[in-house]
Amino acid sequence: MIRVAAAGDLHFGTDSKDALRPSLSDIADRADALLLAGDLTKTGEPDEADVLAEELDGIGIPVVAVLGNHDHHADRPDEVRARLQRVGVVVLEEEGCVIELPSGTLGVAGAKGFGGGYIGASATEFGEPETKRFVHVTRSTAAALGAALGELVADVRIALLHYSPVRDTLQGEPLEIYPFLGSYLLAEAVDTAGADLVLHGHAHRGIEWGSTPGGIPVRNVAQPVIRRAFAVYTLEPRGIALASA
Amino acid sequence: MPETPTAYREEELRQALAADPRVAETELDVRIAGGRIMISGTVPTQDRRDAVAAVTREHCPDLEVDNRTVVPSLPTTDDEERVR
Repeated sequence: MIRVAAAGDLHFGTDSKDALRPSLSDIADRADALLLAGDLTKTGEPDEADVLAEELDGIGIPVVAVLGNHDHHADRPDEVRARLQRVGVVVLEEEGCVIELPSGTLGVAGAKGFGGGYIGASATEFGEPETKRFVHVTRSTAAALGAALGELVADVRIALLHYSPVRDTLQGEPLEIYPFLGSYLLAEAVDTAGADLVLHGHAHRGIEWGSTPGGIPVRNVAQPVIRRAFAVYTLEPRGIALASA
Repeated sequence: MPETPTAYREEELRQALAADPRVAETELDVRIAGGRIMISGTVPTQDRRDAVAAVTREHCPDLEVDNRTVVPSLPTTDDEERVR
């Protein structure tokens, strides 16, 4: 059994010291890896990432993360990424990684994702250049996510996002902001490439449980949603699984 | 000069709470009624909860501030979900 701990929307600031570390003291007994679904920092300043990095340093299990929109706010995402990488956190941006665990291999394909909305009410690449650019960014990141998932060879494959691939996990959010919370293109990419689980954050007022149109479980692990330091999901390795060729 | 409609003032503060780096929260609710301005939602730390009140007072000095934001406790639990 592979056990994955997950959380998102930590929003670490310089006022967050010890906000997480006490909860991680025995995480190595409870999970094989910790996945972080973006919005790791409050405003994307490197010194905020330093506070989180100190909390994650030496917790005894691999940590894999994606960045969120907050982590881009200061226009310094590369520095945020570097501060986390300094303590061994794997920060994925439209790419994958495979972690060797005693119970099997865990593959994670990660991307921030972006908005656009959901089937029947999504933005289209039509009209003003700004609108076309907005949708194009989402199409591009969804394609990259699908490609990263497709290349993963692992017993368990997880898509790690910040933005939501489905409406299910947004219940409780105002309908008006759905297009800014995610896009069905992300779900389509996951359903095409295949995965065992999708994790995302971003929607603080949403709910934890959902699934893609293709039936892949989706979990919103934003901390205000899961109401605990992290959620733990267990998955039985199915043997090496190849994505759609 | 006509009084600014309440809805615009609510949204102005909501935007300010997102843009002000002391708070930087985009999912807070703001309501004005009866001379009071109420802010609700979750914030990660007590410092940021205090900043919500400070930013609100700066933007709406004529209103009584009702800061209903909460800092949720985030315990560790033994819960596990078997996905497969």
